[in-house]
Amino acid sequence: MVLENFNSQKFKKLIKSEWGLLAILLILSMIFSLLTDSFASFNNMMNITRQVSIVLIISIGMLCVLLNGEIDLSVGSTAALAGVGCAISLNATGSILFAILTTLVISIILGSINGLLTVYGKIPSFIVTLSSMWIFRGIALVWTGGRSVSGLPRSFSFLGAGHIGIIPTSTILCTIFILIAYFYIHKTKHGVYIKSIGANEEASKLSAIPIKKYKLITFILAGVMSGIGGMITTSKLLSAQAIACEGMEMDVLAAVILGGASLSGGVGTVIGTVLGALIIGVINNGMNQLGISAFYQQIVKGLIIIIAVLIRRNKNK
Amino acid sequence: MPEILRLTNIQKKFGGIKALKGVNFDLQEGEIHALLGENGAGKSTLIKIITGVYQANEGDIFIENKKTTIESPIAARKQGIGVIYQELSLIESLTVGENIFLGNEPVSKVLGKYNRDKMYQESLKYLEKFGIKIDPKESVHNLRMGQKRIIEIVKALALDAKILLLDEPTTGMSAKEIDTLFEIMDSLRKKKVTMIYISHYLDEVFRVCDRATVFRNGEKINTFNVGETNTDELVKAMIGKNVQLDKVVATKDFSAKDTVLKVENYKTNIMKEKISFEVKESEILGVTGIIGAGKSELATSLFGAAGDFKGSFFINGKSEKINSTIKAKNLHMAFIPEDRKSEGLFLEDTIEENTLRANIDLIEKKSHLLDKALQTKLATKIAKELELSPLDVKMKTKNLSGGNQQKVVIAKWLIGVPQIIIMDEPTRGIDVGAKSEIYNQIRKLSDLGKTTIVMSSEYNELLRVCDRILVLRLGKVVGELYPNKTSTQEILALSLGGN
Repeated sequence: MVLENFNSQKFKKLIKSEWGLLAILLILSMIFSLLTDSFASFNNMMNITRQVSIVLIISIGMLCVLLNGEIDLSVGSTAALAGVGCAISLNATGSILFAILTTLVISIILGSINGLLTVYGKIPSFIVTLSSMWIFRGIALVWTGGRSVSGLPRSFSFLGAGHIGIIPTSTILCTIFILIAYFYIHKTKHGVYIKSIGANEEASKLSAIPIKKYKLITFILAGVMSGIGGMITTSKLLSAQAIACEGMEMDVLAAVILGGASLSGGVGTVIGTVLGALIIGVINNGMNQLGISAFYQQIVKGLIIIIAVLIRRNKNK
Repeated sequence: MPEILRLTNIQKKFGGIKALKGVNFDLQEGEIHALLGENGAGKSTLIKIITGVYQANEGDIFIENKKTTIESPIAARKQGIGVIYQELSLIESLTVGENIFLGNEPVSKVLGKYNRDKMYQESLKYLEKFGIKIDPKESVHNLRMGQKRIIEIVKALALDAKILLLDEPTTGMSAKEIDTLFEIMDSLRKKKVTMIYISHYLDEVFRVCDRATVFRNGEKINTFNVGETNTDELVKAMIGKNVQLDKVVATKDFSAKDTVLKVENYKTNIMKEKISFEVKESEILGVTGIIGAGKSELATSLFGAAGDFKGSFFINGKSEKINSTIKAKNLHMAFIPEDRKSEGLFLEDTIEENTLRANIDLIEKKSHLLDKALQTKLATKIAKELELSPLDVKMKTKNLSGGNQQKVVIAKWLIGVPQIIIMDEPTRGIDVGAKSEIYNQIRKLSDLGKTTIVMSSEYNELLRVCDRILVLRLGKVVGELYPNKTSTQEILALSLGGN
């Protein structure tokens, strides 16, 4: 009896760690492998990683903001505006390097606007980024006149649709960003400070941690990661649209929260976020393979997220 | 006068600690009864038992000579016990009338519609009954602190409270508002409402109360008729014996030492006068006073974490504008906050992580990655110095005892070798054994030449660790004392503003 209790305690702890997410991912994959012929193929696996790479790259930025105790709802709009800027500058200069620089500059500016308004304007980030979500999207629409920016050089599609060897370029890019994020968030001073501020802002202030600086940094990071996501989207489609990445903020939030991050700050891991995004990716892909109607897919996706969070939630909180 | 409430042999334990050790207490109908005692004396525990927040482990409660139980705050309210807490519980965005009838709204019989006209009429009746000139349709948001407190009282009375508990009701009130409050209390007394009055200000007790019960260390010391006692007698009852003189710090001569910190014309909004003082190298200065005296504000503004204040600070003879905690840290200052759980620690993080939190640069490698092995090494070294037990730096700080948690907060700063250490209530909520360990650590800091300022409301503590003690009252220095030339009674009398 005692042993049983001990085991169930241990099991609960395990489920609540990243291992629980990994188990959910594997179980779902197994179910889809059994139900379809095509799910378990190498090509489909690569396909899933390519499909989730954009959400995942943006999720890394969102994770930083959530760890800091804030939120960024403008990630989708930032991606669209940076993607449009990328395409326009590429058409104007013909230089991919210049297009990348333009993307980064735009996304740093957009992230800074969110950060400055939150930190110095003292407006809750939910309100700031809800507003900037519309403003950034609006600017993209005005800039393009609502038309798609096309005629991009074929070579540019390498980022979003190309391969290095047998692996999609975007999967490789995404992996590199995950590794950098892992070290940045879990192994550096910045990561410690970002989490501290989200966990206990008062104690952080009294520990002489520069709160404003790090809040600003996380919003800029979210902007930059969204911009890169937008650039890859543009590359994948070989054209840019002002309405690209619409609703992206919800997909990203779903991945990060499924990955165990807390909306109130201080809690969350890169590995959890990766697993969260992969779970959503597998659900989407598997249901498509099964030919489930898009109407039902939404319901199933919502249910699976609720169940996953229910299993792993901390009852004390 | 008939007896309205009687408590017999009330005992309350928290873990192994007895907060109340068999207390008897009675209330006569229509009296105003003061509860007095230092922090931790047991008066808040007793109040929480009367209001149903806590359940006594032993003992009986009688209301109007009938034995009863009070199992929850709602049950307390049903039995006619109303509480006005120190923190206001009004809803700012509602009107005065809506607040008075909150949870008790008059509704029309047919559709259950909120009958606002009736509510405002009734509110007005209550307000007029006590001569309060506040419009019931006014938003609570627009009221002054004192007015809000009065509305809280009216709210309790609207529920037909027979017994009213007032916890520090004059906090934040102007002299005029206090007069109004006392007039209301007086008229309530005439209407046979019984009141329990908790205050740190003895002069208020002498103004309005009929009887006063003094608590110390979880025991009732005595009940006094206010008309037949005086400040000295009450203070003596609150403090008990003086501490043994051998434990008191001997007066040392600091005149040859350098002045490390000088404060000139310091004043916050709540303070009545500007204060100035200086502290020397290796000196331990105690600053005391009751709640609201301004000592916490002084501590946080010295460390660059407070709101508005006037005044100038000199560190090692140089004028410094300390406008952020980062600036304070760069000036080699350290701050041990009053509430270690919410202001000092990251409870979900380990001891070693907390220890390095304010000085993480110490473990940052050239590659910008953190050296976790060095973190363990440094944290273990300082944990040993501070005699942390168990000596396991990988433990989460939320699982530590209060004394050990406080040592982690001290470790967090010591690791950065500060020159000036400010401590706000360094031993609050810590058991006796851990207290004396913290005292030893503070004395050790002084031996190392560090300057320490200890903000404390525990007088024994000040006598045991400080070289010099400043007593503040309403933001004014009312005494500068030396431990071996004073007593806890003198400090308390000065703080309370007695004779």
